[in-house]
Amino acid sequence: MLEIKDLVTEYGSVKALNGISLSAHEGKITTVIGANGAGKSTLLRTISALEYPRSGTITWKNHSIVGLSPEKIVRLGIAHVPEGHAVISQLSVEENIQMGALFRMRSNKADVRLAISEMYTLFPRLEERKKQLAGSLSGGERQMLAISRALVSRPSLLLLDEPSLGLAPLVVEQIIQTVNDLCRNTGLTVLLVEQNANTALGVADHGILLSLGTVAADLPAAQMKADVALRAAYLGY
Amino acid sequence: MDIFLSAIFAGTSRGAIYALAALGLVLVWRGAGVVNFAQMGQAMFTTYIASTLIAQNYSYWIAFVIALISGGALGALVDLLVMRPLSRKRSSSVLDSPAMRSTVPVIASLGILGVLQAGAGIIWAAEERGFPTPVNSLGLVINGKIMPFTAFDLFVMGTVFITLIATTYFFKGTGMGLAMRASALNPEVARLSGIRIGFVRTLSWVISGVASSLAGLLVTPSANLSPNTLDLILIIGFTAAVVGGLDSLLGSVIGGFALGLLVSFVNVYDAPEDIFLAILIVLLTVLIIRPQGILGSKEVRRV
Repeated sequence: MLEIKDLVTEYGSVKALNGISLSAHEGKITTVIGANGAGKSTLLRTISALEYPRSGTITWKNHSIVGLSPEKIVRLGIAHVPEGHAVISQLSVEENIQMGALFRMRSNKADVRLAISEMYTLFPRLEERKKQLAGSLSGGERQMLAISRALVSRPSLLLLDEPSLGLAPLVVEQIIQTVNDLCRNTGLTVLLVEQNANTALGVADHGILLSLGTVAADLPAAQMKADVALRAAYLGY
Repeated sequence: MDIFLSAIFAGTSRGAIYALAALGLVLVWRGAGVVNFAQMGQAMFTTYIASTLIAQNYSYWIAFVIALISGGALGALVDLLVMRPLSRKRSSSVLDSPAMRSTVPVIASLGILGVLQAGAGIIWAAEERGFPTPVNSLGLVINGKIMPFTAFDLFVMGTVFITLIATTYFFKGTGMGLAMRASALNPEVARLSGIRIGFVRTLSWVISGVASSLAGLLVTPSANLSPNTLDLILIIGFTAAVVGGLDSLLGSVIGGFALGLLVSFVNVYDAPEDIFLAILIVLLTVLIIRPQGILGSKEVRRV
């Protein structure tokens, strides 16, 4: 579904991604793990066009998407939840969710309403707080809001960047489980970037280990989880 | 007492215009991150367009509407021809530092102001000309008593009031307004949500252009029209915006009315020469005591 070949992205003269090839399969969770600075976030940012690749191809549903704008890529069904619970704190919870569906508000108002109410069913705490400013939410609620903002665009591919960052283990569990359910029940494809390898490999179908901008391993998740030598070498445990 | 009342009314009517000018500045500052010094140059230019149409015997209202439309168009042109190409020039190392990236558009806006003023001088000659009001600008007479305000004052206040209501509704009650607020607050998250921030930015230049053009049309009758007449409004409008808190629409409006009253009282009880001094004192006092302005938020401040 998403096919990446020999992708190179640079920040100045530093190659954050140095020839990466991978794919995300329809209806599956693919997780990208690796240490700090391995290029995980850059990978997602390059897919959603926040960074422009130096070379390589990104193919989505058999079409190249390199060179398109981020706002165009969302319209093609790729939604990105960036690192750090990215919500707009000065807007209300309700407005943050609406924002994700603004681009299709005119063409399909009924479905937008439906999608928003689905988000409230998925995360009832957001409905209780819908008039509050997003800045007043807890870390976990913010992450739920950021995911909802992405989901109301009805994506076929969800790019999720470190949803566990700074959250309590119980909240992480809940959020990861919700994403897992979505994937299994609605056929959503997920590309999950995580530093917390155990949690990520626990739900994922496929694991990709990045190291210094290259793919160090590309294995079924269960196999990667069991590979003690690999984990010791790249993740330190 | 009569003098006091007429100072209040004149100040409110003046303040309404300053509020509009400040609103125009705040819109572009929030929407595009640019302090637009060309703003009143744009307004001057469109007032000249209206003046030319009126001189050719078109009705005031036709000229009024065409001036507002050209105000919007001029705003769009400034963004598309100058600001957008500037923000795209990433390869140049000079423009790469954050300080330069926010300074360059401001310098460019000063350049645009120069071009507009020189252009107006060339096209319409630099001599001053009058500009009419759509309604009587003598003291209104009700029951044989002369009121401390004119019909034009009422027209100004009504127009500005409608504009403020419409702008507030646009920002709080429509999807496009939400898109504009989101783009101003966090462009990256806005883009990831599918909002076309380039379009939104141009739109904020258009709305600001219309508001400024309206301010120009309303303020010019009290002075004469020349390429430099509106410089004063820019200074007062800018002060109003800073006093109100640069990123707050409501704050800019409050600042506008406050300055209108100040100017009017200085005019009546002191002398017109002291207006600038009074404005400077207010500006400095606000910057020292409450640098983020009356309603501004602290973090946005980067002066």
